[in-house]
Amino acid sequence: VKVLSIDDSSIMRKIISKAVLELGFEFLEAENGHKGIEILSAESQDVGLILLDWNIPGQDGLTTLQEIKKDSRFSHIPVMMVTTEAEKNNILKAVQSGASHYVTKPFTQEDLMNGIKQCLGKGSQYDPGLTNV
Amino acid sequence: MSMNHPLDHHAPLDRTLVSAVVRSAMEVMGTMAQTQLEHKEIEGWEYYRPTGDISAVIGIFDNTGEGGMLSLTFPMTLARLLVSRLLTVNPASLSSEDVCDGVRELVNMVSGSTKAFLSEGSDNMYKLSLPAVILGGGHEIFNRPENNPYLLIQFKTIEEASQKFNLQVCFKQKM
Repeated sequence: VKVLSIDDSSIMRKIISKAVLELGFEFLEAENGHKGIEILSAESQDVGLILLDWNIPGQDGLTTLQEIKKDSRFSHIPVMMVTTEAEKNNILKAVQSGASHYVTKPFTQEDLMNGIKQCLGKGSQYDPGLTNV
Repeated sequence: MSMNHPLDHHAPLDRTLVSAVVRSAMEVMGTMAQTQLEHKEIEGWEYYRPTGDISAVIGIFDNTGEGGMLSLTFPMTLARLLVSRLLTVNPASLSSEDVCDGVRELVNMVSGSTKAFLSEGSDNMYKLSLPAVILGGGHEIFNRPENNPYLLIQFKTIEEASQKFNLQVCFKQKM
């Protein structure tokens, strides 16, 4: 299984790659949404999870998420947002657009690894806890 | 005769916003860079020049375009140390690009957390600009538009070889 990180920060992609590799998955990376979609087009059969930043240059993460979920080639792939966007409204927007999980920066390595495990079916289902928003 | 300094036309920053900024910086450095900090507000900042070797600056705006900026300014040794801790690698193994990108990510996380606080219970939806990094020994980030609330905080690492960095916020907040 391959995990694709779409984040404009190379440092953040390195932090994420450590967690992904430690969990025994292969790591793919893209610095913006368009490159992420390109990688997905080539590797969609092998990608089991997408980790997506919100504030990325060009098309933002939410729009990229919506594009992924509209495309029948990729719509089955779970997407976990990994972002500084911590407002409840934004979390709700992402979940309503099809995000499977949401991790806000700053995070611990444990938060990140638990999120990845949950999205790949090795943990309990994500509950954003936003029923009153 | 009044001897007002040209930079003293600033209201104090809202105290709850100050707390949010401090809490965000401490949380980001503690959680992501395993670095505990002490902090103090700089009083008489009109005469204090917060210089450094590397800075990251980001804009925070509401839906009317009102807002301001937040910046972090570090000596290079501390920037390199913090970024090495983000990646759990030796500081000497980092490239200049790594250090720049790491500092950019630090200001992104501190401002993201501050933005979430500002949006709580408010109709305003705040947005961040993409952060920019400035490099150069002894540079100063100067962004203190007249009449806008301004804050300068100096952070100090709690460890044997304690090092300092500065955080500046200049922010016009709708009440």
